Amino acid sequence: MKKPVVHITNFNLKFQDKSVLKDLCWTINIGENWLLSGESGNGKTSLVKAIANLIPHYGTVKINFNTPSHLPAVVHYVSNWYQFKDLEGQSNFYYQQRYNKQVASTTNSVGSELRHFGQQNHLNIDTLNPILVALGFEHLLAATLIELSSGEHKKLQLIKAIWLKPQLLILDLPYNGLDSASRRNLNLLLDDLVEDGTQLILISNESEMPSSINRFAKIEGGKLVETAEMQHSINLYTEALIPLPSFFEEKQWPASKSHLIKMIDVNVSYGDKKVLKNINWEVKPGEKWALQGPNGSGKSTLLSLICADHPQAFANNFYLFGNLRGSGESIWEIKERIGLISPELHWYFDPTATVWQSIVSGFYDSSGLFCDPGYTKRLQADELIHFFGLDDYKNTLMNQLPLGKQRLALLGRTIIKNPELLILDEPCQGLDQQQTIHFNKLIDELCKNGTTLIYVGHFESQLPDCIEKRIVLENGEVQVIEDILEAVSHT
Amino acid sequence: MANYFNTLPLREKLNQLGVCDFMDSSEFLDGVNALKGKKLVIVGCGAQGLNQGLNLRDSGLDVSYTLRAAAIESKRDSWKNATENNFKVGTYEELIPTADVVINLTPDKQHTAVVSAIMPLMKEGATLSYSHGFNIVEEGTQIRKDLTVIMVAPKCPGSEVRAEYVRGFGVPTLIAVHPENDPQGKGLAQAKAYCVGTGGHKAGVLKSSFVAEVKSDLMGEQTILCGLLQTGSILSFDKMVEKGINAGYASKLVQYGVEVITEALKQGGITAMMDRLSNVAKIKAFEISEELKDIMRPLFQKHQDDIMSGEFSRIMMEDWANGDKNLLAWRAETGETAFEKTPAGDVKIGEQEYFDNYTLMVAFVRAGVELAFETMVDAGIKPESAYYESLHETPLIANTIARKKLFEMNRVISDTAEYGCYLFDQACKPLLSDFMKKVDTDLVGKNFNEGKDGAVDNRTLIEVNEAIRSHQVEQIGATLRKAMTAMKAIKTA
Ligand SMILES: NC(=O)c1ccc[n+]([C@@H]2O[C@H](COP(=O)([O-])OP(=O)(O)OC[C@H]3O[C@@H](n4cnc5c(N)ncnc54)[C@H](OP(=O)(O)O)[C@@H]3O)[C@@H](O)[C@H]2O)c1
Ligand SMILES: [Mg+2]
Repeated sequence: MKKPVVHITNFNLKFQDKSVLKDLCWTINIGENWLLSGESGNGKTSLVKAIANLIPHYGTVKINFNTPSHLPAVVHYVSNWYQFKDLEGQSNFYYQQRYNKQVASTTNSVGSELRHFGQQNHLNIDTLNPILVALGFEHLLAATLIELSSGEHKKLQLIKAIWLKPQLLILDLPYNGLDSASRRNLNLLLDDLVEDGTQLILISNESEMPSSINRFAKIEGGKLVETAEMQHSINLYTEALIPLPSFFEEKQWPASKSHLIKMIDVNVSYGDKKVLKNINWEVKPGEKWALQGPNGSGKSTLLSLICADHPQAFANNFYLFGNLRGSGESIWEIKERIGLISPELHWYFDPTATVWQSIVSGFYDSSGLFCDPGYTKRLQADELIHFFGLDDYKNTLMNQLPLGKQRLALLGRTIIKNPELLILDEPCQGLDQQQTIHFNKLIDELCKNGTTLIYVGHFESQLPDCIEKRIVLENGEVQVIEDILEAVSHT
Repeated sequence: MANYFNTLPLREKLNQLGVCDFMDSSEFLDGVNALKGKKLVIVGCGAQGLNQGLNLRDSGLDVSYTLRAAAIESKRDSWKNATENNFKVGTYEELIPTADVVINLTPDKQHTAVVSAIMPLMKEGATLSYSHGFNIVEEGTQIRKDLTVIMVAPKCPGSEVRAEYVRGFGVPTLIAVHPENDPQGKGLAQAKAYCVGTGGHKAGVLKSSFVAEVKSDLMGEQTILCGLLQTGSILSFDKMVEKGINAGYASKLVQYGVEVITEALKQGGITAMMDRLSNVAKIKAFEISEELKDIMRPLFQKHQDDIMSGEFSRIMMEDWANGDKNLLAWRAETGETAFEKTPAGDVKIGEQEYFDNYTLMVAFVRAGVELAFETMVDAGIKPESAYYESLHETPLIANTIARKKLFEMNRVISDTAEYGCYLFDQACKPLLSDFMKKVDTDLVGKNFNEGKDGAVDNRTLIEVNEAIRSHQVEQIGATLRKAMTAMKAIKTA
């Protein structure tokens, strides 16, 4: 019999004195493509990183590429996080830097980044183009890395991995930030790889997956447990929300006929490239909106205007909280009224802040904490930390935590001041299904105070119940503005 | 024009040098009000111009840019920077007459030309602002008597000014009002409002004077900040290569080493930096830094003397008039050093390794910071100012070396700093040649602790610790750093 491709025995992993994985064993044979799912923070990422030999570990991990194959005999790991460097090899970028135009370019273009990757790995440039087309990336070759959105960075990672076509490909939450067409095409591309001899290990909680996935597992009690198929929805318990900390009830936002946001023919362009075209949109206090559209349709740019992160807000006819933008308000006065979470906010967040500092910084809209919040706010933070089940991690640095836990802390930061406008741009990235359901319920509860909500999510099934309206963008234009209830009755 | 400082009687010289007041946050409760609704016109859209302007506008102020006609006509980078961020841009004639505050953020070398072009266009009673006082103090430019002249000088590169603002913080800032030009007494209020607009008020503001800012700024940048970091980097690299250490490793150690080492300095002063060493290494670093201080003291004093007397500016301006002959020659020479030309090797160097294998740099930094601080204070500059211009700025400059070695450092700093840096470097290298002969790879390139048993004498260690901790720069630093409670930790490459 041929040796297994991956053979793991007695694998152990600890996080802060707690055993996460305990004497775990896993054998991956030729022809097997695994899906690993389950709640976040249970050691999946560390396990696959050990397979890719990226972290030190206790236990044996043996890799055998013993079949004759024309594919490179490597394990390639696509992280759930992305990273890029400037021309000097540093990655000291700041939040929303991509919107502040500075002529001197500090990062490579996508094209030269890919060429460099191809040369390093001796790849044929002709095989790249179909991948770019499938993921809708051709038009970005001239863009610089700093200009890419988080979804586009994710795609760039995937493009490299697929182009490389390694014998073993590990994908950790690859669907984060991808729209549904891109997900479908990614799955087809992955199936093609498998056809050519690549084996997959996929970490995901999504119901869609490549059809070549033929083994399923989850981690339970620190061990790998094989399951018949993907273990979701069956076990999802509709556990009632524990009561929100009472300080959330102190603020009620009255409904009103006047608008909170009003955009009149709003345009954003970079040189000849139009990113938003004649956007007209009104949001009234208390409304709950879903903002949707494929990757690159302009969602993040639209939100960056509202969050006072985009300099072109000053060139547009656009009212926020009743004032024409650029009529003497400071961005901090605007941010004070908004609770924001977005993939980029997460990416650029101070990684050396503790969970507690991160959550408290929500009172001040800062990345990291710069002042003593005082007694009341401390108490509120503690209550919220408890609510999110983060008590054990209160003093842990963000960069020591798995993605899902970091995300929970930042969600706490987003809501802690109970703002009148919540902007949730793919808030549940990195969370497992249980946590997603839970968080959306929390949002439903919070929004009963009259909060206005704008929620970006690619899938209807992952929206909170309170959503009542929808705006859909495509190519920078408003495609649809409608009431969701109506939309349902249409179909 | 006469050097302004030299026209002052001694009493007034000391008076202005000694202006130094660390401002309480309650001084900024009026926010940006003193500038609200006023027309702010920035001249120049480079590193400081663009980033300060973005912050001021985001703070609710009315900001536009004026550029020299050629920059607008040929759509130069400065024009693009401004227009692509949706700022209004116009010629001097179009915008200066409407301005309540004209903010001069052109290179210092151009100030005489720029100020003489814009001053006649400025409206009666307007304000002229600078981010560095060279033009007023060293060139002695006289400003129309109806105009208010202020300074708001962020103690960081422009990109940091923006990055820190966006994350909800700011960078430490010096502000000043020129005593010859405050006809309406509004200068201080405007400078404070400006400082709130750039976010500086959150990170600590020092009320200074044009004179104190210039004399201390020049001293800091020439000696510890740029001069000694350059000299130390080049000597360290050459020593390692001479002793057979892999050049790629040496290049990486030197390029990133200063950044990692001075990160400790930023968080906890010289004490924290020295505490990163083992006890044996700390004692050694202390001893050689004492030796370095003795060797370099006369050079530091000469720089301070020449700055105070105006001699430094005089010879630099001579070089300006000479088409930058010396500056360009020295710049070329720096570009040709082996350190500059050897790319950092693809080796992993752990954070602690930067301390253990680069004890020499720790000694250089301690010697340079303390000497610069002591020399400034001896010359009448207040300890707070001396702290900002020595210890505080060292990690910021070290960052630029990590980005792209000395070339990047010299590109980012001002022409004045670059000139002073080379001047120092030229004199310092020969001064250290005997010292460097004794240096071996245990101090630079290899782990100092290797092959040593780590035992130290208690009394020696206590004395050394005491000497480090009780230095005045440590005492004042502890107070000032408290105002900058949170500083972004640098990611190590
Ligand atoms: N860099 C720092 O770290 C720092 C820190 C604190 C204070 N400062 C001070 O800030 C000021 C600006 O420095 P910087 O580093 O921001 O300069 P910079 O990046 O070199 O920018 C200079 C700007 O001035 C314009 N300019 C150059 N020559 C000009 C002339 N003759 N007339 C009109 N405009 C001219 C340039 O535009 P065009 O060439 O396109 O016309 C450019 O937009 C200086 O006083 C400096 O001491 C700098
Ligand atoms: Mg300086």
